[in-house]
Amino acid sequence: MALTGRAALVAALGVVVVLVAPRPGAALAGVCLVLAAAILVDLALAGSVRPLRLHRSGETLVRLGQQAAVELVVENPGSRRVRGVLRDAWPPSAGASPRVMRLDVPPGERRRLTVTLTPTRRGDRESVAVTVRSVGPLGLAARQGRHRSPWAVRVLPPFLSRKHLPARLARLRELEGRHPALVRGQGTEFDSLREYVVGDDVRSIDWRATARRHDVVVRTWRPERDRRVLIVLDTGRTSAGRVGEAPVPLAGAPSEGGGPVGGHGAAAAARPVPGWPRLDWSMDAALLLSALAARAGDRVDFLAHDRAVRAWVSGASRTELLSSLVNAMAPIEAELVEADSRGMVSAILARAKRRCLVVLLTDLNAAALDEGLMPVLPQLSSRHLVLVAAVSDPRVADMAARKGTAEEVYDAAAAERTRLDRRRITARLRRHGVEVVDAPPEDIAPALADAYLALKAAGRL
Amino acid sequence: MSLTGMGPAETRQSAPTSPTARSLWRASRMAMLLGLLIVAAAVATVALGGGGGPSRRLDPDDTSLAGSKALAQLLRARGVTVDRADSVTRARELARSGDRVLLITDTSYVLDPAGLATIPGDRVVVGDLYRVDLLAPGVRSSAQVGERSREPECPLPAARAAGSAFIGGASFTAPRGATGCYPADDDGWTLVSMPNAGGTTTVVGSGEFMTNRRLAEDGNAALALNLLGSAKAVTWLVEPPEDGAGDTVAGPDGQSVYDLMPPGVGWAVAMAAVAVLVTGLWRGRRLGPVVTERLPVVVRAAETVEGRGRLYRARRARGRAADVLRAGAIDRLLPRLGLAPDAGRNEVVAAVAARTGQDAVQVGAALYGHEPTDDAGLVALAQYLDSIERTVGEH
Repeated sequence: MALTGRAALVAALGVVVVLVAPRPGAALAGVCLVLAAAILVDLALAGSVRPLRLHRSGETLVRLGQQAAVELVVENPGSRRVRGVLRDAWPPSAGASPRVMRLDVPPGERRRLTVTLTPTRRGDRESVAVTVRSVGPLGLAARQGRHRSPWAVRVLPPFLSRKHLPARLARLRELEGRHPALVRGQGTEFDSLREYVVGDDVRSIDWRATARRHDVVVRTWRPERDRRVLIVLDTGRTSAGRVGEAPVPLAGAPSEGGGPVGGHGAAAAARPVPGWPRLDWSMDAALLLSALAARAGDRVDFLAHDRAVRAWVSGASRTELLSSLVNAMAPIEAELVEADSRGMVSAILARAKRRCLVVLLTDLNAAALDEGLMPVLPQLSSRHLVLVAAVSDPRVADMAARKGTAEEVYDAAAAERTRLDRRRITARLRRHGVEVVDAPPEDIAPALADAYLALKAAGRL
Repeated sequence: MSLTGMGPAETRQSAPTSPTARSLWRASRMAMLLGLLIVAAAVATVALGGGGGPSRRLDPDDTSLAGSKALAQLLRARGVTVDRADSVTRARELARSGDRVLLITDTSYVLDPAGLATIPGDRVVVGDLYRVDLLAPGVRSSAQVGERSREPECPLPAARAAGSAFIGGASFTAPRGATGCYPADDDGWTLVSMPNAGGTTTVVGSGEFMTNRRLAEDGNAALALNLLGSAKAVTWLVEPPEDGAGDTVAGPDGQSVYDLMPPGVGWAVAMAAVAVLVTGLWRGRRLGPVVTERLPVVVRAAETVEGRGRLYRARRARGRAADVLRAGAIDRLLPRLGLAPDAGRNEVVAAVAARTGQDAVQVGAALYGHEPTDDAGLVALAQYLDSIERTVGEH
C-alpha cells in the first residue's frame, strides 16, 4: 500500500480542526479514526494490481544514439477500475522516459503505454520491473504492486564510419575496373577472355582459345576474390582507455546534468571530458572494414579476445555479415585484465587454417606489446598477413605540441616519450613484415579501409 | 548469432512479483513473534519491578529500597500519625496542633530555610543538609565518613536503647549542651542531639537506617522509632511533586505559560505529529525498485602520459625531459634531412646547420648538449628545437 499527498493534506487540516474544536482530545481521536477508516475504505475499493496482465511489444534492437520505443499493454481482468501511476523500471543507461506514466484502465479493458529508450551505451538492457500504484476512489491511499514483464533491448554499436563507405566503395570499383589487367600477378585470378586489341600484352594471349575462335583472344585478370579477412579485436585493459570525443553521450561521462561522477564537481568540470573507449573506435573501424571487404567479395571473420574468446563470428553470408557483427559486438565490454596475446595467437591459428589477412585492433603500447605480442608474432606473420591497427590519442599530440611554460614542456616531454615508444614499436612491427595503421580516433576507420584497399590493389591479400 | 535468432517473441506473459499478504505473514511471523516476546518480557519486567516511576528517597509513601514506607507503617502501628508535608507552609500549619516531630530529609527544594527553622517542636534533621546551621544552630559538619554499623557510646536514651545502628555519612561537631552519639573515626559524632526553643533537635549523619533496605538490620528500626515515635504525630517534610511546577514558572497572577495556552494546543501538537507521520509515509514509499547497473570504467587513455608529465615536473627531471625532446626532434628530422636512422651526431648537426643556416655549435648544443640548468632553459630548448624543426620543414 501507499498513502497519497491528499491523505497528508487531510491530516494537516486535522491539526486545525483539533486546535479549534471545543473538545480537542475527542477531536484528535475522531480525526485519526476518520482518516484511518477512509484509508482502509480506499484501499478496499482500489483496483487490484496483482491480477493485472502486462504484454510487451516493440523494438529489440537499437543503434547507440538512436531511440527505441517499447510498448506496454496493461490488461485489467479485475472488476474494478485501476487508476494511478505506472513505472517501467529500466537500468539508468537505457535512458527510459517517461519515468512515471499515468494509468487508467477500466475493468476488462486494456491500455497501451509507450516507453522511449535513449540508450547511452552499448549492450543488452533488460526491463527490471513494472510497478503499478492503483489509487482508491477517495484518492487517499493506493495499492502498489510489482510485476515482472521481461523485455530486452540490444544496443548495437552505432557504425558512425559508414559515411566513409561510399567513397571507399567507389575506390574499390575503380580498383576492380582498372585491374581487369592483362598482367598476371599474385592475388589476381582469371576473369574472362576477350578479343585482342592493339596494345595488349602479347604474353596474355590465350593460344588455345585463339585456335578455337579463329580470332586472337587474350585472358584478363582481376583482383582475386574470396580472400579471407580475420578481424581480431583486443578487448583487454588497453581497450578501456578513452580517447577523442564521444560522438554520442555516454553513460559514465560527466555531463552537464551531473552524471554519476558529478560528485567531483569542479574537479570533473575542469578536466577534459573522457571520450569514447578505444574499443568502440576499434569496433567502428572493424565495421567499416568488414562492410568494405564483404563488398569486395572477401570473407570476413571476427574474433574478440582478451584472456578468453569473447566473441566469434564466422561464415556469415555477405548480406548478414554486418548484422551478425553488430550483434556480436554489442555486449562486449573492455575487460580490465592484461590481454593474453599467446592465447589470442593460438585462437587465431586454430581458426584460420588458410592464409588470410589478420587485422589486429589493439593499442601500440610498447610495454604491453613487448611482453605479449612480440614474442609470438612470428608464428602469426609466417602464416598470415598481419595488419595492426591502433587508435592514437589526440590528447597526447596536443600535449606534445604545447611548449609555453615549464609545466607544459614537462608534459610535452612525457607525450614525446610516448610517441617515441610508439614509433619504435611501429618500426619493429614493420621489420617483422607487419602492416601498421596508427591513426587518431576519427581517422582510424577510413585509414584502416585505405590500408585494406592498398593491400588489395597491391595484390597482397 | 543472427538478427532473426535473437528477436524475442512478440509478447511475453508478465508475472506479479510483489509479495502477497500470506507470504508477507509467512516471512515475518517469526520476527513478529520475537518482537512480541521482547515486548512481553519488557512489560513483565516493569510490572514486576514494582516502582512505578522513580524512587523518592526517604519518602513515607515510597516502597522502593530507598524509600521509607516501612518506617511510616511501623510508626502508624504504634499510633503515631504520619503526615506528609510538601511545603514549609503546610508543615507550619501542622505544627499548630502541637506535640509533633518535624522530620527534614532534604532542604534543597525549600525556598525559605529560615522559615523552616522557626517551626517549633521536636526536629530531626537527616544528613548534612543545606543550611543545617539554621536548623540546628551550633552544629557544623566536620567530615564525610563512611556509613557502617556503629555503637552509640553515649548517654542518650534513644540511642542507648537502640544499640548499634547503620549510620554515618557526615560527622558533626557538638556544641555546648548537646549530646553526641555514634562517634565517627575523627572526633565528630554522626548523631547529635541538642535542646532547642520548644523541644529537641536531633541531627543524624545519614538517613540510611530509615530506608526500607536497612530498617530491619541492627537497631535501625529501634533508633528511628525512638527518634520519631516520641510524639503523637510526625510531620514528614517531602519534596513537592515535580509536575506542580507552578511554584517556579508562575507569573505574577500565579498562572504559568501552560495555563495561558488554549487547551487544544497539546492535542494539536499530537495531531501534527500524526500529520508528519502520514506525510513521511506518503513521501517515503518508493514507486518501484532502485535499479543498479554495472557501468564500464571511465579512464582517459592519456592519464598515464599526464602522470608521467607530473612525475617529471615533481622531480624537476630536466635532463630526462630534454633527452626525450631531443630524441623526438632528431627522430623527425632524420627522414626530412635524408639521413639514415643510425646517422651520427656530427652528420646530423652538419646537415641541420647547412639546411637552416644556423651556427653548427649552437645547433649541436641544442640537439646533443648538456642538461638545462633551470626550467627557463628547458623551455628555451624546447622552443628552439621546435623552431629548428619548422625551419627544416620549410626548406
